[in-house]
Amino acid sequence: MTTDGRPTAPGGAGGAGGAGGAVVELSIPVQADLVVLARLTAATVASRAGFGIEEVEDLRLAVEELCLSLVGPDDEGRLRFAYQQTDDAVTITCTFEPEEAGEPEGPGGPEGAGESGGAGQSGGTDQSGTGGDTRPEEELSLRILDALVDEHGRDGDGRGAVAWLRKRRALQSI
Amino acid sequence: MDQTFEITENEAGGLPVVSVAGEIDVATAPQLRDRLQAQVAAGNATIGVDLLDVTFLDSTALGVLVGALKRCREAGGDLRLVMAEPRILKVFEITGLTGVFSIYATVDEAREGGR
Repeated sequence: MTTDGRPTAPGGAGGAGGAGGAVVELSIPVQADLVVLARLTAATVASRAGFGIEEVEDLRLAVEELCLSLVGPDDEGRLRFAYQQTDDAVTITCTFEPEEAGEPEGPGGPEGAGESGGAGQSGGTDQSGTGGDTRPEEELSLRILDALVDEHGRDGDGRGAVAWLRKRRALQSI
Repeated sequence: MDQTFEITENEAGGLPVVSVAGEIDVATAPQLRDRLQAQVAAGNATIGVDLLDVTFLDSTALGVLVGALKRCREAGGDLRLVMAEPRILKVFEITGLTGVFSIYATVDEAREGGR
């Protein structure tokens, strides 16, 4: 369920951990074939947190949808992910930093390399034909997040937009 | 990053079947979209999509399938999905798409589906 209660732990884009868990950070260019890295990291963090296989798979899909909810078809820039494990949950925060923002770059260096297509959903949308189809994936994406995680939300549009999710471990996994 | 992604096309008893293996995500979904569009453009109004070997599928993939379904129906046909993996079925269930697509457990059932 979407809530207004943003997690405080990530402390914005790549903050240094809150109470309880270590924070794993990932920064990637907005590039469709790199989104898999966000999924892999989510799966690794969830596994280390003791999540069951089914929950790990849920989180893998959820983080993909989180990413897709932030970036549009023509967006360029970086996506910064912060993964935090706490006692019974994993919280993932994704921040979209548009290329034009001129914000300081991380150790990954300046982007621009390999901008072979944004990670936005137009990559897969059936857009041929007249007028362009609407993007049903946006609604589908929300339904997936609603079903797979305990909480999720989003702040801001475009520049500096942040989306986050939190998934708690099932009781039998604790 | 999509080394395991593969699309093949064949025919099962007169039903054109597009078989997908691997992960259908924002990076690979455009390939599926192109194949399905080509099938419809070639005059195939009813198409089977074999998802038995798909290991991951996101909303982008769903968008491609919904778009293809629309085109098939506009052409007087249907898009018949084949899937058995619970994780893949789950994605269709939670998005309410099980009531939209014709879903079969095997390619043979999909072939017989409209009869």
